Amino acid sequence: MTEAEHSELIRRAQNGDSKAFAELIALYYAIMFKMAYQHCPSRDAAEEITQEACIKLARGIGLFRFESKFTSWLYRLVINTARDYMQSQSRHPYNPEAMERVAVKAEGEDAAYTRQILAAIYQLPDGERAALMLVLRDGYSHAEAGDILGVKEGTISWRISEAKKKLGAQFGKEVAYG
Amino acid sequence: MDKHMDENIISEALQRMDIPPADDNARKRALNLALAEFNAHQKKNEKNSQGLSILTRLMSVTQFNKGQTTMENRQKKRLVYGGMATAMAVVLIAGVSLNQMQSGIFKAQESSVAAELEAAQLPSAAVDDAAPQATAAGADASVSAMPAPVAPMQPQAANRMEAQSKSAPQRAEAESLSAAPMEAPMQAPMADMAVAGSMAMAPQGLAAAQRSIAPMPPVVMPEPYPPYYQEQGQDKFENFKINPVKIAAEEPVSTFSVDVDTASYSFMRRQIENGQLPAPDSIRVEELINYFDYAYPAPHSKDEPFKASVTVTPSPWAEGKELVHIGIKGYEMNTQRPRSNLVFLLDTSGSMNEADKLPLLKSSFKLLLDTLSPDDTVAIAVYAGSAGTVLEPTKVSDKAKIIAALDGLQAGGGTAGAAGIELAYQLAEQNFDKEAVNRVILATDGDFNVGINDPEALKNFVGKKRDSGVFLSVLGFGQGNYNDHIMQSLAQNGNGVAAYIDNLNEAQKVLVDEATSSLFPIAKDVKIQVEFNPDTVAEYRLIGYETRSLKREDFNNDKVDAGDIGAGHTVTAIYEITPAGSNARSIDPLRYGAQGKAPKTETSVDNASFGGEYAFLKMRYKLPNEDTSHLITTPVPASDTATISDDAQFSLAVAAFGQMLKGADYTGDFTYDDVIALAQKAKGADEYGYRAEFIKLVRLAKSLDNK
Repeated sequence: MTEAEHSELIRRAQNGDSKAFAELIALYYAIMFKMAYQHCPSRDAAEEITQEACIKLARGIGLFRFESKFTSWLYRLVINTARDYMQSQSRHPYNPEAMERVAVKAEGEDAAYTRQILAAIYQLPDGERAALMLVLRDGYSHAEAGDILGVKEGTISWRISEAKKKLGAQFGKEVAYG
Repeated sequence: MDKHMDENIISEALQRMDIPPADDNARKRALNLALAEFNAHQKKNEKNSQGLSILTRLMSVTQFNKGQTTMENRQKKRLVYGGMATAMAVVLIAGVSLNQMQSGIFKAQESSVAAELEAAQLPSAAVDDAAPQATAAGADASVSAMPAPVAPMQPQAANRMEAQSKSAPQRAEAESLSAAPMEAPMQAPMADMAVAGSMAMAPQGLAAAQRSIAPMPPVVMPEPYPPYYQEQGQDKFENFKINPVKIAAEEPVSTFSVDVDTASYSFMRRQIENGQLPAPDSIRVEELINYFDYAYPAPHSKDEPFKASVTVTPSPWAEGKELVHIGIKGYEMNTQRPRSNLVFLLDTSGSMNEADKLPLLKSSFKLLLDTLSPDDTVAIAVYAGSAGTVLEPTKVSDKAKIIAALDGLQAGGGTAGAAGIELAYQLAEQNFDKEAVNRVILATDGDFNVGINDPEALKNFVGKKRDSGVFLSVLGFGQGNYNDHIMQSLAQNGNGVAAYIDNLNEAQKVLVDEATSSLFPIAKDVKIQVEFNPDTVAEYRLIGYETRSLKREDFNNDKVDAGDIGAGHTVTAIYEITPAGSNARSIDPLRYGAQGKAPKTETSVDNASFGGEYAFLKMRYKLPNEDTSHLITTPVPASDTATISDDAQFSLAVAAFGQMLKGADYTGDFTYDDVIALAQKAKGADEYGYRAEFIKLVRLAKSLDNK
C-alpha cells in the first residue's frame, strides 16, 4: 500500500466508511497488539488493551489530523489505554513473579539473565520504560518517541539516561551477554 | 557515567523479549466490537442524537473482562455457521443503536477519548510535562504527558470507562463542559444508570464495583437499591414452594418432567448486572443448572436418543449428606437437520419500542435466519400495534425479502386485537411438512394479547396445535412487562423452549449456538422417576424442578405432557440424600415409626440384593413423531467413591448458587466464595466463556447480598 493509499484509507474511515475502518483494524491489529504487549507483557492483558484501543479508535479516528505518523498516533492511543488498564487492575500485570515467566528468545543462563533485566525494566517508571521500548527496542529516534509519548525530545533522552543509571546501579558493571 | 548500563545490553534484553503473535480470534473479536462501535458512532453523528454506548447496552461487554470472550469463541463452534454470524452481529448491533435510550454516559466517554486523541496531536511542547528539570528519578511516573489523577469526578465518570477520566485536567474539563450544564437536571437517573453500568462492568466483583462507584459525589447517589428485585414493573413470576425434604420410607418415589429452559438464568443475570439480587420467585434452580452445556457421555445412535450418567458424591454444602447427580445428554445431530418451517409471531405493541426489545428482537431473528438452510421457510406475523401477516411463507434463499420485512416492523400504537396466534398457526399449517420441524416462535415482552385472552384457553389451543405437529417456542424480551409464568407454561404446552433474550450474546447462544437443540427435538415428553431404597436412603430432596413435578401415576400415562430434549441438549437433575445411618438427617426418625416399619423386614429379605443401591432411575420418552413412550432404567449404586467429573462439579456450584438466591436454607454455611471456589476448580475449558461469566455473577451477587 502506498503512502497515498494509506492516507486515503484513513480518510475514508474518517468519513464513515466502515469497510475502510475494518481494513485499518486488519492492518494494524497485530501492530497494536505488539505495542500493548510491550507495555503489559501478558497475552490476556494485551488482548484486552488492544480490543479497547480498537473501540476507542472507532470513536476517535476522525480526530487524526495527519500531523504525525499514523502509527505514532496509534501508539499513543495504545499506551494510554494500557495505562488505564493498569490502573483498573488491582494486581500489576508485570509484577516480578510474572516477569520470571515471561517468554524470552534465549536459553539457559542467558534466558534467566534476560528475564532479570526485563523484570528490572518493568520496575522502572512507566515513562522511562516506554522510552526504552520505543528507542531501544523499536528503533524510534528520540524525537519520534517524544512525539508518540507527547513529550519533548530532551525528555526522552533524559528518561533513557535515568533508566540506564538505575539499571546500572542494580546490576553493577559486570553485566554482559555471553 | 560508568554506572550506566550499556544501551546494547538493554536493547538486547528488550529484543529478546518474545512477543507472541496476535491471536486471530482476538483480532476478530476486537474488529467486531470496534466495527459495531464505529457504526454506532457514525449513526449517532448522522442523527445527531445521543446514545448510550451500544456496547454497554447490548453486549454487556465489560471493559476489561475475560468473561466476554464468548462471542468470538463461538465462532469455533460446530457445523453450520462459520464466520457469517459474527459479521451479521456487527451490522445488526448498529441497527439497534438507532433506538438507544438517552444518556450522558456515552457522551462523557466520548469527550474523554476525544481529548485524549486531540492531545496526542498537540505539538509536544504544549502538553509536555517538563520532566527533565522538575522530576527527580522516579517521580516521572506517567507514560504520557498526563499528570496524576484529578480528584473530583463527574458523575458520568463512574461509568465503565472510569479509568480514562482519571487523569488529565483537560479531559476533565472537556467532560464538565460537555456534560454538566445541560444535563445537570438529569443527573440522578444518570447516576442510576452509571451504577448499573459499573456493576455490570466490574470485573473483580465487589472491589471493582466499589472502586468505580466510590468517587461519585454524594449528591447524585441514587437511593439505595432494595436488596431484592422488587416488582417495580410488572414482571410476573409464578410463586412456588421449594421442594421439601422427603422421607424415603414414606414417599419413596419422586417424579418430574425434564426442563431445558434457560429463561431464569438470563433473567437472573440481567438483574444482578443491574445491581439487584433477583427475586427468589424468578429463580428456577434447574434452569440455572441447565443453562450450561455439560460434556456428559453421549449416546451413540439416534435410536437411543439420550443417555443418563449417574454420579453419587458427598454434598459440598451439607456434611453427612450426599448428592445423586443425574446427567442426561441428548444425541448430537451432526449432519442432517430436518427442514424448518418457521413462523415468527412478533409482538409489536407500544411497549416493545425500546432498544432491548423490538430492535434486539429483529437483530436476534436475523441471527437465527443466518443459521437456516436456503430451503427452509420463514413467515412473519405480528400482533398488537400493526397487525396481520407481514411476510407470507418465504424460502430462506430469498433472505433479502425476509430482512426487508423484519426491518419494516415498527412498534407502536394500541392493541389491534387481531387473532395473531391463530394467524401464525395458519401460516405454519399452510406450509406444513410432516418431515420438517414446524414451529411458531413467539417473541414478546409479556403482552400475550394474541387474540385468545384466557390463558387457559390459550394453553389448550397451543396444546392442540402441538398434537397436530406445530410446536411453539417463546422468547422473552425486555423488562417491566415480562410475564415469565405465561411464557413458561405456553412453551411447555407447545413442546418448545422458553428463553429470555437480554442481549445479542444471549440471542446468539439461544438462536445460533443452540439452534439445533432448541429447534430440533430428539425426544419429547421426557419424564424422570426415581424410586429410593428406604434401606439405604433415609431422606431425599430434589433440587429445583418445582414447577415440573408430576404425579407418580403420570409417569406411565402417555397422555401427560412433559418436557423435550433437543439434539445435543444436556439436562441435569440433582437429588440431595441422607444415607440411612447418617446422623445428618433433617427430620427425626419417628419413635413409633420403627414399629410401622416392622412388616417391611419381611420384604427386606428380598431387598437384600438391593443393599448396594440407593435408588432406581426410570426415564420415559417418546420419539418426536411417536405417541407411545419408551422406558430406560438404571440403578443408582450406593457409593460415593466414583470420581465426579468437572462438568458435574460445576453443575453443583450452580445448584448451590441457585439455592442461595432462592433463599432456601439447605445450603447451610456454604458461602458465595465457596461457590466461586467450586466453580473455578471445575471450570474446565469453558470454550464459550459462559462459566467465567457465571463466576463473575457470583462475585457480583456476593457484593449485593448484605446478609
